[in-house]
Order: sequence, then structure tokens, then C-alpha cells
Amino acid sequence: MDIQKAEKRLKKPEVLNLFEGSKSKIKKLVLIDEIALVEELQNIQTKEKAFRILIKEYKERLYWHIRKIVISHNDTDDVLQNTFIKVFKGIDNFKQDSKLYSWMYRIATNESITFINKRARERNIDITEMKQELVSNLQSDRWFSGNDIELILQEAVATLPEKQQLVFNMKYFDHMKYQEISEILDTSVGGLKASYFHAVKKIELFIKKKTH
Amino acid sequence: MRENDEHTLDWKLSDDIKTGFTVPKNYFKGIEDDFSLNLIEEELPKNNVFEIPTTYFQEFDHHIIEKIKPKKGKILNFKKIKLIPVAATIALIIFFGINFLLNNNSELSSDEIVNWVDMNINTISSDDIAIAFTDINFDDINPYVTIKSEDIIESLINSDDIDFLIEDANINEIN
Repeated sequence: MDIQKAEKRLKKPEVLNLFEGSKSKIKKLVLIDEIALVEELQNIQTKEKAFRILIKEYKERLYWHIRKIVISHNDTDDVLQNTFIKVFKGIDNFKQDSKLYSWMYRIATNESITFINKRARERNIDITEMKQELVSNLQSDRWFSGNDIELILQEAVATLPEKQQLVFNMKYFDHMKYQEISEILDTSVGGLKASYFHAVKKIELFIKKKTH
Repeated sequence: MRENDEHTLDWKLSDDIKTGFTVPKNYFKGIEDDFSLNLIEEELPKNNVFEIPTTYFQEFDHHIIEKIKPKKGKILNFKKIKLIPVAATIALIIFFGINFLLNNNSELSSDEIVNWVDMNINTISSDDIAIAFTDINFDDINPYVTIKSEDIIESLINSDDIDFLIEDANINEIN
């Protein structure tokens, strides 16, 4: 109850205005929190406790990022677990050259791509074919609730080259800023804008062909 | 007349005043593309079409914490590992010895040998050893056999538990 009351008070205009004037301070605080969390993660005494906080904070965001790449829920679960295990094992070597979430997103992205590549190798098929096969299973997937046009959109996304697919998902569905995507994918903002432009144009063409 | 001059001067001044507003470099260059992208985006569906089991995220934390916890039951004593090649060698000697005595004329395939070792390795008694090797004095065998490091490495590589051993070594190192 107390938390709900506190949340309501925080959403009042006067409180929001107060925060509006202190955006840079808040950003600084968030950054300090991240640094503190990394320090706790790198300390053997506090590692597990800090890791629980990390999982709580990032599991959903990373899940949806992975899900859009590997499509099925069960595969996403496997990749997400592998991602967190890699984070846990690799956190001692994390030098804070990038933000923690960028580093985790990179691990999640790499794990997802590795997963699809591995599947494609096992099936002896091309990675694009593999992606299309994953999407074609959506119709019978109990964890997919999309209609026809939403299914076509997923099919269209699956036809895109890897970079365009990632940029499209992160920009269109996750509403991420180009600067954030740039840090994760290690690509210039200009390059990302071009990728997104081509991706959207290709998707439009694909949907037109499918629906007309 | 004076009034009119001032008026003209004011008007000229206001004409020269700039707005003070600026735009990012190349802002107008890609504006048509941005506009056409917005139009396309508006036509595309944006719902989250993927679903998850209701309690998935609640249970996830527990699963992952269980996975990263050290597996206490799997920690192996390195002294015991040293004895694995010795035990395997003894088992093979016993196997060949017994078969030599009981089945002198038969030929055995490698599959039969492997199966026999698998099935009987835990059931060989000291009496079996005594029957098989009546002419060997076991008191002469040195139990503190020196094992070459290459043999240990080979044994470890062939072991199914190699992942656990590496993990345990890491944990011991950390501790």
C-alpha cells in the first residue's frame, strides 16, 4: 500500500517538474548506481546478491530482445539463461569501457545469433532459411497471438539481413534511441539510420507483395 | 517626419534580427526520407504478438540462481582421480585373466570386452583377483604408482565430468 501511495505522489505534476529540472543529476545517479552494482558483482562476498538484482532489472528487457531474434519461447528461455550465465562468469573481466546494459545486450545478441547459426548448421541449411523456418512455425506456436498482418510482418523481418533485422527490432519495437543501439551494435548512428531506412522499405515492399 | 524615420529604422532592425533558433547539421537533408518512413511505420502493426507462460519471469530468477550455484555434489577429490587409471588397468587385467583361464579358446570382440567391464567392474571381489592371478604376489605391487602427467590429462579429457572439474577448479581458485 505504501509503495502505491509513494508512486502516486511521484507522478504528481509538481514532483515531475522537480525531476524535469534535475535530469542530468538523475542520469548521474543512475550511472553511479550502475558502477556500484558492477563493483558488487565483482566482489565475491556480494556477487550473488548483486546478481539477483541484475537479473530482476534486466531479465524482461533481454528476454524480449532475444525473443524477437530466436522467435520461440523455449529457445528464448535457453538463450536467456546462457546469457545470464555468461554475464555471471564474465563480470569479473568487465572493465566498464561500455555501459553494463550495452555489454549485456551485446552478449544476448551474440548468444541469439550463435544459437540460430548452430541450429542452421545442425539442419545443414542457410541462416536466412533457418530464420524463415522459425517464423513459419509461428502459426502453430501456442505462445504467438498475432493476426495475419502481424505474422506477415514477422516473415518480412526474417528476410532482412542480420544487422537490419537487429536495428529494426530495437528501433521499431523497443523504441531504443540510435545512440543506444550504436553502443550495443558498435555501429555509427549514420550507419544505423541507413540500415533502418532500408529495413523499413524492404518490409513495406514485402507486405505489399504478400497482401496484394 | 522624424517619427517615420524611427519607424523605418525599427522595421529595418527587426528585419535583420535572427530568430536564434538552429537545427542540427544536415537536418533538412534527410527530412523527406524521415517523413516517408513515418508514413510506412504508421501502417505497420506494433502489438507485442509473442506471449509467455504466466509465471515465467517469477520462476526465472530461481532457475538461473540454481544454475550458477557451485555444484557441491560433483566436487571430485583429485587423489581419487589419480587412482582412476590404476583402477581401470586392474579391472582390465582381471578381465583378461579370468577369461584367459575360463575361456582359453574363444575369441572376444572389443564390444564384448567393453560390455563385460561395464557390467562387472563393481562386482569383482578379492577372491576373483586371487583366482585369476595365482602366480602373482600382490604384496609386491606398489600401490603408490607414479602416474605420468600426460596420462592424467588424457584421463581428464576423456572424462564426462571435465566441465565440472574445470568449474570446480575455478571455484577453488576464487575461494
